[in-house]
Amino acid sequence: MPVWQRVYEEINDPDFVLICAAQDTGGEAVAGPIFDAANPTYVQVVDEDHVISSAFNFVNVPSAAWIDETGRIVRIDEGTYAAIHEIGDGEEKFVFGNDVYAQAVKDWVANGARSRFAQSTATVSGNIRKHSFDQRKADAAFRLANLFRAHGWQAKAEQYWEMARSLNPDSINFIRQNLTLTEEGSAGETFRKVVMDYANQGKDYYRPLDLEEA
Amino acid sequence: MAETMMAYPELRHPYEVTPIHPPGSTTVLHQGRAVTLAETGDGDGLLIRPEDLPRVNGFELKPEGACREGLCIPMNDDLLISRDDGQWFDLAAFADLTGQPYVADRPAGVWSFAEVPATREPMMADAMAPDFAVTDRQGNRVATADLKGKKALIVTWSSW
Repeated sequence: MPVWQRVYEEINDPDFVLICAAQDTGGEAVAGPIFDAANPTYVQVVDEDHVISSAFNFVNVPSAAWIDETGRIVRIDEGTYAAIHEIGDGEEKFVFGNDVYAQAVKDWVANGARSRFAQSTATVSGNIRKHSFDQRKADAAFRLANLFRAHGWQAKAEQYWEMARSLNPDSINFIRQNLTLTEEGSAGETFRKVVMDYANQGKDYYRPLDLEEA
Repeated sequence: MAETMMAYPELRHPYEVTPIHPPGSTTVLHQGRAVTLAETGDGDGLLIRPEDLPRVNGFELKPEGACREGLCIPMNDDLLISRDDGQWFDLAAFADLTGQPYVADRPAGVWSFAEVPATREPMMADAMAPDFAVTDRQGNRVATADLKGKKALIVTWSSW
């Protein structure tokens, strides 16, 4: 989040809006301190029900949409990193992210439709995930579970979280959100198996970042 | 990576058990909103008063159908029900008509609806930003309509 704050300050354009939305059922307790540490001046949202992911058919974080002045999406659904990150050391070291995406954002804000990173409607439409009836039903189940959780109805919360994961097994958001609220955490053995299964099935954990396509 | 990375088991169910709504009420979830209805009709579907429809899902009844912004969905005979105690609108039948997924926990009186597919056509067909409304950490409402005239980058992230 500090990286996006730096990008936002560098862009420094009153007609540019940056909305960072934490997809966190854990709420302000987990997302708030991370936001605060960045001293952000962009729009900060703690989205416990993953409303933004549902609206844009995202299945993983970080994901993003670029929206132009007319309301048209000009890029969508890529692994949206603003920097290269490293976690751990030695053989356990995990490197992810990139340092080119933020440059593309800056170019688009400066040049609008002339930016080579602004994509055509046809390209964007092709990149929007087409969710099935069951996948959209999963969003409804997830929100229902969160309501029950918020009222302490544990059994029903678990029932509908499980329904959401069953209806949309491709949602990394649902899988990792669930793992986060367990002792195992979001990056343990289960998560590593999910990533391996994705690769074995030929699925992209993130849509490949293609900054050459216009 | 540590096995316990990003683990918040203490937050799985941190809340005291509380009623979701007053006895006899029904709660409807839609687009991140929760609306509690004091009055619903008996039946297999979800019968609500027509005047409650706008605050539940933004639609309102007009001569041409159930309408929201520029979209009107023609009604059929299953949707609007007249009884001795007045008119009811069957929200579940409306969902079935429009292909809108929903999940209902009838014992708890809670219904959760996904978005009406027709309202998402502008995004799916023409890459127009979908309707959404969320509240930021300062308590301000942030909605798609507020972004008109500006470039916007919407980034999702998580603590996990």
